[in-house]
Amino acid sequence: MPSSFTVLSRHYLSIYNWTVFIGWFQVLFLALKTLKESGHEHVYNAVEKPLLLAQSAAILEILHGVIGLVRSPVSSSLPQMGSRVYLTWGILWSFPEIRTHILVTSLVISWSITEIIRYSFFGMKEAFGFAPSWHLWLRYSTFLVLYPTGISSEVGLIYFALPYIKASEKHCIRMPNKWNFSFDYFYGAILALGIYVPGSPHMYSYMLGQRKRALSKSKRE
Amino acid sequence: MMGECLRLSSMRIYAKLLKRMKVTVVSRSGREFIKGGLELHDLATVADLQEAIHKRTKKFYPSRQRLTLPVPSGSKVRPVVLSYKKSLKDYCDENQNNITVVFKDLGPQVSYRTLFFFEYLGPLILYPIFYYFPVYKFFGYEGERVIHPVQIYALYYWCFHYFKRIMETFFVHRFSHATSPLSNVFRNCAYYWTFGSYIAYYVNHPLYTPVSDLQMKIGFGFGLVCQLANFYCHIILKNLRSPDGSGGYQIPRGFLFNIVTCANYTTEIYQWLGFNIATQSVAGYVFLVVATSIMTNWALAKHRHLKKLFDGKEGRPKYPHRWVILPPFL
Repeated sequence: MPSSFTVLSRHYLSIYNWTVFIGWFQVLFLALKTLKESGHEHVYNAVEKPLLLAQSAAILEILHGVIGLVRSPVSSSLPQMGSRVYLTWGILWSFPEIRTHILVTSLVISWSITEIIRYSFFGMKEAFGFAPSWHLWLRYSTFLVLYPTGISSEVGLIYFALPYIKASEKHCIRMPNKWNFSFDYFYGAILALGIYVPGSPHMYSYMLGQRKRALSKSKRE
Repeated sequence: MMGECLRLSSMRIYAKLLKRMKVTVVSRSGREFIKGGLELHDLATVADLQEAIHKRTKKFYPSRQRLTLPVPSGSKVRPVVLSYKKSLKDYCDENQNNITVVFKDLGPQVSYRTLFFFEYLGPLILYPIFYYFPVYKFFGYEGERVIHPVQIYALYYWCFHYFKRIMETFFVHRFSHATSPLSNVFRNCAYYWTFGSYIAYYVNHPLYTPVSDLQMKIGFGFGLVCQLANFYCHIILKNLRSPDGSGGYQIPRGFLFNIVTCANYTTEIYQWLGFNIATQSVAGYVFLVVATSIMTNWALAKHRHLKKLFDGKEGRPKYPHRWVILPPFL
């Protein structure tokens, strides 16, 4: 007999996952529609609202992991979450000049397809207790293409935004100040690019491992 | 000459009389690591075994070897590590004259003295570079620098601290026959050298903003007292161990150790706090937080270990109720 907490958490998680799913579905729909009708320069403006909402809602997942509502380890979701939030707020929202770049389109499409599959998968499991095997297969196979396209778009956008970052003083803290602290957002961005060098193969091989585990487990069932 | 012959022959007779024991050395995967095993005399110690392995393999000197007793596969029990002082017989089963040990290569090792020397040398040299040399020109800050008194004192304080650490490494600390993997040299040096440069950059910066004179004096004064207390703690810890390097654990007593298990870490943390109160930089405080968390981890482990060792049973003293590292928090 499931406890009332379990029932409540399942309801909450169903609503959460399906809501964010709708958000990402909107992103993909608007992106493709705008691409066809107006061209890649206008994609960001069309998807901005649902993108900011859906990507920021994902931060709740850290909370879910911490309070034990879900089982997934915080350590693997944190780097992915970090790069997403950095791109969404730290690059695209902060530096409008980069928004017309074509890599925004590839970024948004890669992210939204991945998230649509992921959130519907969890939504299915929370609401109905199961997910069909093709759904599982999609969840653990689309990353094979979408991780490279997504990561390349992320790296490319940071790189092309660098001149705008350097020119503006946005998010910088300069000396002198009481706390003898400084922060240069431009060098921070260079550091972020550096992190992708070991980070990307690490994340990709982690997902490969997850894939092997998940697909072999379903074969055995 | 006669005496020498007698001595040698009696040794040979003695060796013949001593029973031999067979040692099988396997790797963790189970395959035989030393073909045919080793034969040692009955009274051999683990150290003798390590020498024998070293002789056979040439590459694996004793401090690189980790020898354990085999555990049945699937067992979650931690394997028993062979202590270099004990005799092999202590680890054998009843009336058995053979033993199997599992060998693990710990990788190239360096002595703790070497490790500490290099990790402390970095901050000792790098910090003065930021003070004395026109480093900031490379960061785009042209023009004359005004040196505040606090920056001079900070330089002395910092260099004294790391000089003290190096001196303690060579003249005070007694290491329990321990070495450290070579990779730790790179990891630890990266930690100390990076943080050292990070802090030195800000405290010696041309646009550095000093705190009030009073705050500076309080900070450095408190820090200095803590450094002296820290030195005394190290002396007490040294006296717990015998000079032959046999290591082992005792209950620390006296001075601050009566109230807190890891008084040496406590004084070290407060000493950095003093430095930060005087110099006030985010870089310094970040370092304080990171160092504190690292030392707290060590302190918890040590406190737990001492409580387990001194459980009050079988005539052993019971470990007294004490703070772990930072009264009144932990």
